[in-house]
Amino acid sequence: MAASDLSQCSDECREALHRLGAFLDGELGEVTQAELSQHLARCSPCTERADFEEHLRELVRRGCTDQAPEGLKDRIRVQLDEMSAGSRG
Amino acid sequence: MSESNAPAEEVTEGAPVRRELGDAERRARFESEVLPYLDRLYSAALRYTRDATDAEDLVQETVAKAYRSFHQYREGTNLKAWLYRVLHTTYISMYRKAQRRPQESPQEEIDDFSLFDELSRTTGSSPEHEVLERFTAEEVRDALAELPDTFREAVYLADVEGFSYKEIAQIMDTPVGTVMSRLHRGRKSLHQALHAYATRRGLIDASVEG
Repeated sequence: MAASDLSQCSDECREALHRLGAFLDGELGEVTQAELSQHLARCSPCTERADFEEHLRELVRRGCTDQAPEGLKDRIRVQLDEMSAGSRG
Repeated sequence: MSESNAPAEEVTEGAPVRRELGDAERRARFESEVLPYLDRLYSAALRYTRDATDAEDLVQETVAKAYRSFHQYREGTNLKAWLYRVLHTTYISMYRKAQRRPQESPQEEIDDFSLFDELSRTTGSSPEHEVLERFTAEEVRDALAELPDTFREAVYLADVEGFSYKEIAQIMDTPVGTVMSRLHRGRKSLHQALHAYATRRGLIDASVEG
């Protein structure tokens, strides 16, 4: 069992975890963001969960870095040539 | 040129219109400002359509629409959000309407799911982080692909592109509260899908009972 048992968790932890997603999105507003940062700084089980969630988001980011095929880029340039020519007429 | 469904009006408030630009200048600006986003748009289109050919068609049509309505984009505003708004409206008109897939069906049971808790419970001494690193990029993409359309798009826009809730609301033309709920449930569904992969691959011990 990893060191993340929340059974002894305080109401503060429950509140923190409830808001973790919005916190990591930076959407809680300055004051609440700061409060939650302070909680994480002194609560390792909550920090562990926050790190896990960040890690998961990083995996999603890493999995979505495709490059547009050269053929598509070529077709788009041809298309733009045609559209530019068309609007001149 | 007539524009029937002009995209992104709400993300382009303020600042001057560039309708007065000459063709050559407009083309040059479009190439230098918009084309650098091509890889990002393609990556998003792949997630939206889940098909390489459809993704190429979607990006090509998005770029065409963006070029036609480039005069509506206001300089100094958020070009990236504007492009994703065009991508969204193009995706809706090309694909989602045709598919009429059921979306956002009630999945109350996902709301309490925690991948972290599941891994804590079933991986013994192995830290939860290590299990995450064993997922392949393809498994992560497949897990994302299983989400309902609107959940997948919201998660993509937030987690991959880093858009704010307000920007996502404008891109998807939906209230901020809906964005928050889609994100919450989308992420939970993603956790569940990854948990299923982890179980199937034997990364976690399915025999451990809670």
